[in-house]
Amino acid sequence: MQTLAQSEKLAAAPSLGSRFLRDAIGIAAIIVAGIAGYFLFPDNLALLTRVIAVGLLVLSIDLITGYCGVATLGQAALFGAGAYAAGIACVNGVTEPLTLILIGAIAGAAAGLLMGTIMLRAHGLAQLVLSIAIVQLFHEAANKASAYTGGSDGLAGLMLSPLFGMFEFDLWGQTAYLFGLALLVVVFVVLKFVVASPFGMLCRGIKEDPVRIGAMGAFVFPVLLKMFVISGAVAGMGGALAAISTQVVGLDSVSFELSANALVMLVLGGLGSLYGALIGTVIFMGFEHVVSAINPFHWMTMVGALLIAVVLALPGGLSSIADAILPSRGRTRGGKA
Amino acid sequence: MQTILSIGIDAFAYGMALFIICIGLSLTMGLMRVVNLAHGAFAMIAGYIASYVARDLGWGYGFAIILAVIGTIILSIPLERFLFRRIYGSSELTQVLMTIGITFCVIGITNYFFGPTLKTIPLPTGLSQPVDVGFRTIAAHRLFVMACGLVVAAGLWYVIERTAFGIKLRATVDNAAMADALGVKTQVVYAVSFALAIGLAAFGGVVGAEFLPIEPYYALRYMVTFLVVVSVGGAGSILGAVIACLVLGAVDTTGRYLMPDFGNFFFYAAVIAIVCVFPRGFFGKAQ
Amino acid sequence: MSSVKKLLCAAVGALIAGSVSASADTVKVGIIGPFSGPFALQGKNFQAGVEAYMALNGKSVKGHDVEVIYRDLPAANPAQSRALAQELIVKDKVQYLGGVYFTPDALAITPLLKQANAPLVIFNAATSAIMTQSPLVVRTSFTTAQTTTPLGKIAVDRGVKKVVTAVSDYGPGVDAENAFKKAFEAAGGKVVEAIRMPLNTNDFSPIMQRVRDSGAEAVFAFLPSGPTTLGFVKAYNETGLKQAGIKFFAPGDLTQESDLPALGDGALGLLTTFHYAVSHDSPENKRFVEAATKAIGGADQLSFPAVGAFDGMHVIYKMIEATDGKQDAQKAVDAVKGLSWTSPRGPVSIDADTRHITENIYLREVVKGPDGKLINKEIETFANQKDPGLASQ
Repeated sequence: MQTLAQSEKLAAAPSLGSRFLRDAIGIAAIIVAGIAGYFLFPDNLALLTRVIAVGLLVLSIDLITGYCGVATLGQAALFGAGAYAAGIACVNGVTEPLTLILIGAIAGAAAGLLMGTIMLRAHGLAQLVLSIAIVQLFHEAANKASAYTGGSDGLAGLMLSPLFGMFEFDLWGQTAYLFGLALLVVVFVVLKFVVASPFGMLCRGIKEDPVRIGAMGAFVFPVLLKMFVISGAVAGMGGALAAISTQVVGLDSVSFELSANALVMLVLGGLGSLYGALIGTVIFMGFEHVVSAINPFHWMTMVGALLIAVVLALPGGLSSIADAILPSRGRTRGGKA
Repeated sequence: MQTILSIGIDAFAYGMALFIICIGLSLTMGLMRVVNLAHGAFAMIAGYIASYVARDLGWGYGFAIILAVIGTIILSIPLERFLFRRIYGSSELTQVLMTIGITFCVIGITNYFFGPTLKTIPLPTGLSQPVDVGFRTIAAHRLFVMACGLVVAAGLWYVIERTAFGIKLRATVDNAAMADALGVKTQVVYAVSFALAIGLAAFGGVVGAEFLPIEPYYALRYMVTFLVVVSVGGAGSILGAVIACLVLGAVDTTGRYLMPDFGNFFFYAAVIAIVCVFPRGFFGKAQ
Repeated sequence: MSSVKKLLCAAVGALIAGSVSASADTVKVGIIGPFSGPFALQGKNFQAGVEAYMALNGKSVKGHDVEVIYRDLPAANPAQSRALAQELIVKDKVQYLGGVYFTPDALAITPLLKQANAPLVIFNAATSAIMTQSPLVVRTSFTTAQTTTPLGKIAVDRGVKKVVTAVSDYGPGVDAENAFKKAFEAAGGKVVEAIRMPLNTNDFSPIMQRVRDSGAEAVFAFLPSGPTTLGFVKAYNETGLKQAGIKFFAPGDLTQESDLPALGDGALGLLTTFHYAVSHDSPENKRFVEAATKAIGGADQLSFPAVGAFDGMHVIYKMIEATDGKQDAQKAVDAVKGLSWTSPRGPVSIDADTRHITENIYLREVVKGPDGKLINKEIETFANQKDPGLASQ
């Protein structure tokens, strides 16, 4: 037993080092890709900012679906909570962007706490349906509270003060994009630490076998709930970023459609690595944008064909290409949810 | 009293319409373990065929139903052979990705060929008249839907519980490898059940078109409703699906009557409450 | 990741190359509309209206070629709307923005207009408040309040004293409810009950039961066009409300021409008020319907957004004329203030204060046309209606 433990420790040591190296490379790649996007597509920064905001949402789903095995079709409830909290705060005079992101994170975390409490009561299909019911209730509430949220007309008139008092959020969207990119990188680094921590490991363990983890003496519910809160904060920041960069919050930000699209993006990219979330978002939204610009009338068929092709060719998601190329990154992924 | 009866009859009709459309999905999810989000797409295809047959060719409602069911099953054979067969036994999320992809394609293609307008399936005069049932008038079509729902429920129950095929199907679901070893052709059982589920979707799409009108976005617009019904009933259970449809139909209809402004709140709050109390649905089997 | 970027880059590069090759003296117009998705029909109508105008009036103004770029926005999504507008302005260098079906999408674009130095000509989005968000917005469609208000008097004139309003529970529905209530009660009627129905209602029988229980003589309804409208009208017929003599009033969104074939004979006799009917009898409309039908590919798909787009293009052409093809948003907007012309829908003008269109509102009844198809037949005209929602501010 002791030797076994030791050998595991020995085996773990080099992989720990290589994992840090790999993550450093991965994060550097995100930064490089982000800056390359800035210079390659200077005219599409609003689109790229939207990609980042949705990317945060997809990351937040990866936390609970990819790491905890809880599938959700209602994550936009958390995204929308962040967007509306930031939007309402902004209309009422809180115009500092960083504060608004913080407000979004708090609102998202609170919504995540609520959502987790309800969703963790069930499993499998029932859980999925609970998530749908919750996002529909949020949507309905946002529609009803039109005095605060603007209802279906949208919450307009968000006037932001310049970032650090210097950089305006303007037509060209440079401030919004770089701000979003910085936010994404910070969140990503933090999340990498979270999922590599003992807490993150515990979550993966629960995903594989909750009964066994329970038998080992850990309480499953609070661990998952904690992940829901973290996930909510990330989604809420995404929502706040969307609100800041668009200056309008619409009901679409708490919709089932957005939740479903985000889950599709995650599965497309591959679960449980955080990278897959970003790759899936960029591919899906980039593909959608390019195809719908070429032929605005029939892009849906193309997107559908892409999804089918991915399932047939790469059942593990797009990020499994990277796994095939880099064997050191080979880990179980895209498995059961 | 009259009002309660009246609401009750509306709820029953709506619930039965939901039942006919959803039971096929319940079978695919419960018996074949495939989360088929493209279920609505098959119902929609049937609706288009029926509309073409009944409205453009003028061949009548009965023909429209039969041709729609047959046509949809034929169309689904290559899909089953080349796409669905790849995802039997895959993870749920892979199935979701694939079937959403299929749904998108079907929507895009129908939009291209048939245009984005609503398609109606003209009813025969006998069904389009309001009928006086004593305390109110009700569309004859609604009575027809109720009858169809009861027939489908009874028929399915008989097939699954009382026929040789039903025994093989249940055996395959419980333990495919063992059933195979005992000489059950599981591939055939799967193919037949898939065709049965698609046929039910097609039938439901046509018969329920008065409640859920046929248009290209049908499959996405009602996807949530279908999923909710199946999970509340418990995937694979006929009795569960019947009860779920009746309960949800009743909650929806009374909610919209008593407090229309908060109709959605009622509906989804009821869903949350039911799922929390019955995490596997009313009659779901333990996994 | 980087190979993906490369791919994207190549694809977008090809697009850029495509748009640069256009001649130098081209005025570009960016049209944002729902060309796919559940509202694709309305987007198709935008395109048909634009193409009809360009077919009838040429593709150039004073020697400046006009090039239209379409961008797809399938559903209300302000973030995507802003991204598309930004791309059209910054990358495609459009001088004019047009289209926009949904209110939140328009609200996402208005903050950009001043910096972009580009006017926005709205072909549809029908909430009054959009006009106050930017002085560079002009609208050629209608507002829900504008089309609804005449119904108040019409209902009272037809001997209706008690009405139940049943509207879809979203912005335009609430606008319609308020506008009708105000006009109807000013004319001496009484709204006995106001029902707001969730947008995803499939079965309307319980609503009809409620209308019946309330003892009202008529129901006023507003729903977004499409499947819900069909369900509502069906329920109205099937639950026997029609036979019981309960009247039905609604703004014309409910009986838009592209929905009429699906509504079928159940729609006969419905009374609606609107700014445009495809059956409008005038030489201008005849020319328009002919050109737009050709553009859209089928007579039964033509509906009101086409006329908004048609007149929107007229306004944009006038703007290009006034600025001689140069980019000057304020001058362009000033040039069309007070502009009046004869549209396919009748005489119209752009109100100089609100920049919203002043137009006739018609009372129409659904009847069988000469060829047996259902049409909206105009039976009464309310001339030169402004938007009451803006006028009151």
